[in-house]
Amino acid sequence: MFKGKKIFGLVAILAGSMITPAIAQTPDKGCIVLKSVAETEQAVVNAKGEKSTKLVPLSKVVPGGEVIWTVTANNICKVPSDKVSVDLPVPEHMTYVASSAIGPGADIQFSVDGKTFAAADALTVVENGATRKARAEEYRRVRWTFKNSLAPEAQAFGRFRAVVN
Amino acid sequence: MQAWRILGVASAFALALGLGSNKAHALGAPAGTVINNTAEVSYTVGTVNATATSNVVTVTVAEILDVTVTAQTPTVSVSAGATQQVARYRVTNTGNGSETFRLVMNSTIAGDQFDPVPSATSIYFDSDTTPGLSAGDTAYVVGGNDPVLSADGFVIVLLVNDIPAGVVDTNTGITRLTADARTGTGAPGTTFAGAGNGLSGAVDAVVGTTGADGEADSTYLVAGVSLTASKTQTVVDQFGGAQPVPGARINYSIAINLIGSGTATNAVFTDDIPANTTYVPGTLRLNTLPLSDAVDTDAGDYTATTPAHVRVALGSLTTASGPQTVTFAVTIN
Repeated sequence: MFKGKKIFGLVAILAGSMITPAIAQTPDKGCIVLKSVAETEQAVVNAKGEKSTKLVPLSKVVPGGEVIWTVTANNICKVPSDKVSVDLPVPEHMTYVASSAIGPGADIQFSVDGKTFAAADALTVVENGATRKARAEEYRRVRWTFKNSLAPEAQAFGRFRAVVN
Repeated sequence: MQAWRILGVASAFALALGLGSNKAHALGAPAGTVINNTAEVSYTVGTVNATATSNVVTVTVAEILDVTVTAQTPTVSVSAGATQQVARYRVTNTGNGSETFRLVMNSTIAGDQFDPVPSATSIYFDSDTTPGLSAGDTAYVVGGNDPVLSADGFVIVLLVNDIPAGVVDTNTGITRLTADARTGTGAPGTTFAGAGNGLSGAVDAVVGTTGADGEADSTYLVAGVSLTASKTQTVVDQFGGAQPVPGARINYSIAINLIGSGTATNAVFTDDIPANTTYVPGTLRLNTLPLSDAVDTDAGDYTATTPAHVRVALGSLTTASGPQTVTFAVTIN
């Protein structure tokens, strides 16, 4: 009986390990609601004949085409959220466009391995035993760390461009 | 804490896979590739750490319709009245999905002096291992065996024309090969909904920068070429004179000239040793350069078997090559 309890305990720990990431992948019931969108720039001409561009969602791309990835964070709680840090991968089959990341109020960092993050001019890679500055096309992940708290009902966003390989 | 570590490892693993796939598709993401992306956030509320993920954004890579045609024989030297003269082209699918192309030949192009006349069967795939038009090549039938090319795949196409009899030296005649995507052509960006070939089913097809059609020209150049040879001899007898007596030596000099605008490819000079004479070993020269008598890597040789002769490979000659001079000597028996 005593033995049985021990086994039960072990199963519970394992199950806990599995469940936690699963929850993280479903829409969170917490304070920040995160939304991603893939868009493209579309030229529009208004009734006066004035030209401008607007962002429109896209569902298909072609090699060489540019996609504008935007992630928005909304604080839906009555209290501020602190230390807000948002990650968005440069997806497979796509290449980050140099200097394209923006994020008002955020420090922007990049990673080539998904583990080590640094600002664009500080990120390095080791190639053939030598350390060199990482090239923009090597970035696989972008991180926005917001300097200030996200106030109730406030919104923050980050954005970058990537080209389909 | 334990859970976080597992999540971290899983993420790194997925990223490593992603980089590998990128390298595999360096020539462009294949049509039908599904690209997913999800954002993550971490934050604190008071002293509580929290995380969340975004919706999954999915974009699908459409088929891009692009083709490039290049002339592998931009200029083909021909003579008046020649039949079945071959111009060779390469058609490459520069799009990102499997695509069928239609081939069209046109030999009535402006800007030349004559129109080549398409042969009865005028478009072939260079489908056997022999370069040029040969028995094993497959004739093209429009709509029947339109080439289906995978992304970055290509096919070698031969256009076959006859040359009119009345053309003269330096006349040119152009023949053109056009290939267009059967899914559709048009201005770059034109979309054919659901008409593209994806990795696992139909996707949209979008016309690329080539307009989904390509063309290239080859020019037939009438280039009459002829070689002339003029032979001179000097006799030196063993008595210090110039009498053709037994034992006297005859030094031959042959000047070879090319006339015309074309190229004489792999020209070979041969000359039989005259009857009642014997070749003097080691006297064969091309443009004063000594050539060994043996059949070896140099350009000339002497063969004793009947008829005894000398042979010099002159290579490909044009008027720019200048006169070629072959010398050798014999003794009178």
